[in-house]
Amino acid sequence: MTVETNEKDLAERVKLIESMMTEGRQTTEGWGWTFVLWGVAFYAAMAWSAWGPKATLAWPVTMIAAFVLTGVIASRRARSRPRTTMGRALGAVWMATGISMFVLLIALAGEGLLETQAFMGILAAMLGVANAASSFILKWKVQFGCTVIWWATCWICVVGTDTQGTVTLLITVFLCQILFGVYCMISEARARRSEEIHA
Amino acid sequence: MVHGKLRLALLSLLAGVETAEFTWLRTKTGATDGNLGAQLMKLEEAGYVAMKKKFVQRKPQTIYRLTEKGRTALSEYIAALKTLLGGAM
Repeated sequence: MTVETNEKDLAERVKLIESMMTEGRQTTEGWGWTFVLWGVAFYAAMAWSAWGPKATLAWPVTMIAAFVLTGVIASRRARSRPRTTMGRALGAVWMATGISMFVLLIALAGEGLLETQAFMGILAAMLGVANAASSFILKWKVQFGCTVIWWATCWICVVGTDTQGTVTLLITVFLCQILFGVYCMISEARARRSEEIHA
Repeated sequence: MVHGKLRLALLSLLAGVETAEFTWLRTKTGATDGNLGAQLMKLEEAGYVAMKKKFVQRKPQTIYRLTEKGRTALSEYIAALKTLLGGAM
């Protein structure tokens, strides 16, 4: 009886260790809102550069504002959530891509080397890179679908006309930022509900 | 030290993350503030977890992480469990 009880207790402990480790690793980190925020920022920058005053400031100002806003919201949301290696890896991918894109585009624009088509192509290609890395890390087919759309957009922006590029970019931002972001947020809400039930 | 169920759960939780806040550990374990605080203190005294207090937007936060000593202790405990269970089978 004692041996059986001990075995049962030991097996329970193994289960406890496994479930707790999984709980930690699978902690849901909500990043869907960032896709929506940046999608809106892209639209705002495009609208400003097309119709607003001082069009050259449109992209840098909007992007810096979106970056600051992302930082502020993220720090508020992350208060009671654990930090995971996965979260840090994904954050690093997006941060590195964002900074590289910003530096490259500002440098090119400063030297007068940036045409609209090249600008849109670089934007789409770099977002393709970040989405690809993220989808490979997460093994997430939906995000890889977004990656393919971004790469196709890059091709159309460079090979097609200005109008074709702009229209494609507008559609892609809607699909891969706004719609994908909302999809992420719904998935994250479901995952969190499931976590609460199991907690 | 590792054998206590709540302490074992805490070490296992912390093994899956880089750092975790007190309230998250409380939610995941379902322990009371007092019990959780006491067990975490024991683990800290043993050098298995490290604690850091900080303020985020003027609100206090207590952050915990598993130390190398804690990770080794947990690994050894798991290995011992496996041996015991393997021997019993």
